[in-house]
Amino acid sequence: MTNRTPKPIPERFIVKPATLWFDRFMNHFIKVGGLSIIVAVSLIFVFILIQIIPLFRGARVAPDRTMPIPADDYIALGSDEWSELPFFLTADGALRFVDTTDLPEPYHRGIFTRQAGIAQVADVTAVEFNPYASHLVLGSNDGRFSIVDVVYRATHPPRGGREVQVTLEETPPLRIGREGHPLRIVAYGDRGARKLLAAAQWVDERYELHAASLTQRQTLMGAGELSVEQTFDLTEHIDRRPAFLLVPPDADGVVIGQDDGVVRYVHFDGRRFTLRQIFEPFADLDDPRIASMHFLLGDVSLVFTAHNGAQRVFSLFRDPDKDMRIWGHTKTFPDLPGPATFFSAAMRNKGFLTGRERFATLRYSTTENIRWEQELPFDVHLAEIGPRYNRLLFLDTEHQLHFYDLHDPHPQAGWRTYFGKIQYEGRAEAEYSWQSTGGRDDFERKLSLVPLIIGTLKGTLYAMIFALPIALLAAIYTSQFLKPEIKRYVKPTMEIMASLPSVVLGFLAALWLAPIMSNAVPSVILATTFVIASAFGVGFVWGRLPRRIRMRLKPGYEFIAFVPVMALVAYLGWRLGPVVENAFFVVTDPDTGLRIADFRMWYPRATGLSFEQRNAFVVGFVMGFAVIPIIYTITEDALSNVPDAFRSGSLALGASRWQTAVRIVLPTASAGIFSAVMIGLGRAVGETMIVVMATGNTPVTHLNPFTGMRTLSANIAVELPEAPYLGTLYRTLFLGAMVLFLMTFVVNTLAEIMRQHLRERYKAVE
Amino acid sequence: MTNPPPTTSTRPQPPAGETYVWVTGMGLTIGLVMILFLLGLILRNGIGVFWPRRVAEVTFREERDTRFREGLRTLGVILLEQDRDIRDLTPEQIESPDPADRREKQLFIGNRDVYGQSFAFFNAGNIAAIDYPDNVIRAERLEWGDALLFPVRLHSRDGVEILADDPAFDGTLNRLVREVGDRRREINRIERFAIGRINLQMRDLELRERFFARQDALTPEQEAEYATVRQRMAELQAEYDPLAAQAGVLRARQMEYTLDYRVISGEARSMPVGHIVHYYYPNRLNTPARVRLMAHHIWDFLSGYPREANTEGGIFPAIFGTFVMTLIMSIAVMPFGVMAAIYLREYARQGSLVRAVRIAINNLAGVPSIVFGIFGLGFFVYLVGGTIDNLFFPQALPTPTFGTGGIMWASLTLALMTVPVVIVATEEALAAVSRGVREGSLACGASKWQTIQRLVLPASAPGILTGLVLAMARGAGEVAPLMLVGVVALAPNLPIDSMFPFIHLERKFMHMGFHIYDLGFQSPDSEAAKPMVFATTLVLILLVVVLNLLAIMVRNHLRKKYAADTF
Repeated sequence: MTNRTPKPIPERFIVKPATLWFDRFMNHFIKVGGLSIIVAVSLIFVFILIQIIPLFRGARVAPDRTMPIPADDYIALGSDEWSELPFFLTADGALRFVDTTDLPEPYHRGIFTRQAGIAQVADVTAVEFNPYASHLVLGSNDGRFSIVDVVYRATHPPRGGREVQVTLEETPPLRIGREGHPLRIVAYGDRGARKLLAAAQWVDERYELHAASLTQRQTLMGAGELSVEQTFDLTEHIDRRPAFLLVPPDADGVVIGQDDGVVRYVHFDGRRFTLRQIFEPFADLDDPRIASMHFLLGDVSLVFTAHNGAQRVFSLFRDPDKDMRIWGHTKTFPDLPGPATFFSAAMRNKGFLTGRERFATLRYSTTENIRWEQELPFDVHLAEIGPRYNRLLFLDTEHQLHFYDLHDPHPQAGWRTYFGKIQYEGRAEAEYSWQSTGGRDDFERKLSLVPLIIGTLKGTLYAMIFALPIALLAAIYTSQFLKPEIKRYVKPTMEIMASLPSVVLGFLAALWLAPIMSNAVPSVILATTFVIASAFGVGFVWGRLPRRIRMRLKPGYEFIAFVPVMALVAYLGWRLGPVVENAFFVVTDPDTGLRIADFRMWYPRATGLSFEQRNAFVVGFVMGFAVIPIIYTITEDALSNVPDAFRSGSLALGASRWQTAVRIVLPTASAGIFSAVMIGLGRAVGETMIVVMATGNTPVTHLNPFTGMRTLSANIAVELPEAPYLGTLYRTLFLGAMVLFLMTFVVNTLAEIMRQHLRERYKAVE
Repeated sequence: MTNPPPTTSTRPQPPAGETYVWVTGMGLTIGLVMILFLLGLILRNGIGVFWPRRVAEVTFREERDTRFREGLRTLGVILLEQDRDIRDLTPEQIESPDPADRREKQLFIGNRDVYGQSFAFFNAGNIAAIDYPDNVIRAERLEWGDALLFPVRLHSRDGVEILADDPAFDGTLNRLVREVGDRRREINRIERFAIGRINLQMRDLELRERFFARQDALTPEQEAEYATVRQRMAELQAEYDPLAAQAGVLRARQMEYTLDYRVISGEARSMPVGHIVHYYYPNRLNTPARVRLMAHHIWDFLSGYPREANTEGGIFPAIFGTFVMTLIMSIAVMPFGVMAAIYLREYARQGSLVRAVRIAINNLAGVPSIVFGIFGLGFFVYLVGGTIDNLFFPQALPTPTFGTGGIMWASLTLALMTVPVVIVATEEALAAVSRGVREGSLACGASKWQTIQRLVLPASAPGILTGLVLAMARGAGEVAPLMLVGVVALAPNLPIDSMFPFIHLERKFMHMGFHIYDLGFQSPDSEAAKPMVFATTLVLILLVVVLNLLAIMVRNHLRKKYAADTF
């Protein structure tokens, strides 16, 4: 074998290594870059999803630590914001404070006891503790009471960190009812100017019920001492032994739970008490007696449990028949194993912790949702939800204090809140409602997405009613009848409409169109009807005109010839509007007796619905500007892309241009038209600025064309800037965005699949 | 085989369905009328704002409403006449035979400092005569909007006095107004740039100082730096003082001359000439002069800064903010969009995965803009921005630097929103390059990238450009997501200026679209803001429409080219 050297490759065929290297590099670079942008795009979906997942998690509760408490007969438990210095109230009016920090010796305060003043002069026979206002009411065996404020204050000592200080601010013993007789139950409500105390007193083998309104003298040094202003004897309002007594903090009444299971609600208007309501929460049970009765935060909801463990919530709402606020059954919870022995209402939301013996459950009133429940390894004697809703405290029967960490950032969230009907506090019936902020801390948020979805659909509906016919008709005319040389100018003109920023449309809708439209509703309706009718009329007459007249107008110029007709009939309709208004839409002014022809005033009286200047009608019209060009362009493309052979064939067989358009072209392009409509729908669903500007942004659940609405998108724009980062509202708005995303996703995917389907079809034809 | 008998009718039947052709024609007519009417409306109202209109002196028949006038006369620019709301009419007016009693005229009466409002409605039936006095001045002021006034005299602090009927009055006032304008620019230059620069450096130093002050113990090096910082602060203070003094002197000179004048309600008033931005005699102008004045107004509007809660002055910062944001957005969207399209069209195997990706991208184009806004806020501002703040700007916390809305986050959000537009357009353009071109290039031995770089991309460049222009038009007109990620009604500084590091990506910015929203809906006096809204709308519409027409033209041109170009 001869050793043949391979023929050298001619130099011009040698690729520079740099070229190959660069090519390889670009290969990878483009792949990575291209893929990463696609990943980034899907990241949007994932990110939004991550934001909303925590909304659907239950509460997480984990045991933290346990510490012993000196044995005693404790009846209540309270704590500071950080649960560093909780106290235990004994039946005889002593407060035992326990330092739960792990500070070293000189700083650790151990356990110390404070005695309320009244307990030093008399025997305490009745105690009430309100953890939200952090005041204690003590009643004595000689008919006196005292109110003790447990004031916690966080200080920052020089050693660093935080130290919680506590002081007791108490009133001297004050008298109520009959002297020398023991108070058995006390209750106290305080809202600034008005303070009310109620007490059940044991007098001569029977119970008497007394109430006292208190006043606080204002002195130059600040708030002065409390004193009794007036006392009332309410014994006539009860007929059995009172077992429970509650006074709302508004101090506008007394709720008495009697031992036979009847609840009596006595209303106080500042001067007089009147018995307003008698009801029996468990009238349907074998044993109607009440085992417990407590307020929830806000004190317009009462939680009752029966002896068999049934648990119901009653709320105060305005009864439309009686036109006064009374209690009504609003929520039912699953039964407890037996009567509740402990109860604690959350101080930040409508949650409450309850249970008996080893069984503990954390429930949420608004949604009737059980956030957490568990058999604990000990018998619970007292329990408390930490004031920050981040900790649970249990005192067991062995005098061990158990700390549990509570992680439940979104207690109100859940399917029920977002998509279900809920009877909110103060409302007479269950409803879908969105109201994310209120004036008070104890406001119950209403976060139903249903009104927003209905609002979105309402806006879309009115936009489509207006836009769909115009866009489709215009597209058919443009693609089938219009001369190509005119089409070159007509189509871009229509497409310019798509580029109008929606903020401009919104501004014109709200500040220019809405006032005009609301002044002249009959004119607008008439003008529209006239224009539509005239098109049919002119077309009908035209078709019957002799051929030589018809020949004067070249086919494809009808739309120009229609302009003067349209201008004329629209003007006529506009001028006839007031005449029609005078004839049909007349109201009589009740004050002057004058006949006033005004649609805005007539409409609410005739239909019972309201009329707003910025309404769905205006929004629908203006949103047409945004939707028409989209539907128009895509439909026109689909129609124009129908292979010419179809049209030629049809026309050659003698079909008229209209028959060709409707029977041949339209059915062939139907998938494309469907896709156009879907994309237009998607645009209307997501439109934000027009709705924000041209409606009042009130959430509604009806389709009245003359009121506004709030759409999902507008809701995000309006509320997100005020929503605290990662709070319930923030995440709820992300949920709204997700719903919006899914709505458009479904619509657009449908459209896209249809479009691809159509493309295949045309390919088959060619 | 027999033929069917011929039809007996001699009159040919009209083609079937002509009626419905007219109905479809109506659809197109309505659509065209809508768009042309809207554009016309905006054009008329937008241009009308700048047209110097005559000022009318209106004489009334009887005294019904004594506001804004003395005796039976008032002064104002007649804006429109309309039907009164029926709910505001008295029974006599409803019954009145004269329809003018049910109509009203809106007047721009100006002088908000005197009347408390700038616009007023007057009953049309009560107007006896309208004429146009020659000596009215319309003066644009720094505060309180325009004044409609009759000049009385000019006087200076050192006793110079010129009466209004003095022939020298006009020339003097003209010269003085020009002088105060120059001085105002000088003050502005000193305060905005010279003093602004010092303030900016001062702020950084203060942050540094705060850091040292918080430290328990300082190392010797830190000690030294602390001293330098304090020394530098003293130096800056020393630089600041003479500048502030200079500005003070100029400010005092602005107050040197005072114009005494009279308003129609008879009240004698005066104001320093330094407060007048610009003035003219609206009833003395001929048409060419009016056109010149209008051009002047338009220029002021485009180049000026807003005053009085944005209801007066110009919109330069909003134009500039829109421009910078669109620019940054384009820089972000262009490479990524094109890269993704090249990947999809040239590199990826065409299968069901790529089909799914295409559906996803088309889908994304249909996702509501507000969804991008909420994503931008959650992801860019809070997550990315918050992390940047914690890593690089901990000394400024809790005041966020990047952890709040800003022009960068806004641009990136919009880039994400418009990236599908670019991808779709680029893909279309790439697909239009014929296969033969590619195969020829590869057959000649060019590498894949060389083919793309030298042949495919140049051929599809106009198409890609169209996509970019469409994306820019969409970005420039979008407001809803921007409201969440950094647009503000009034930004103190422009996002790009002469101060280091020149481009301030963390700054909040103004935007024309948001300007419209804010003026029309958030301002206390929406009537007074209306002219500004219309003018801003006109500018925005022009920008967007021009961009779109550009894209449409390029696209049409390309279609023709490719139609002729196929092998």
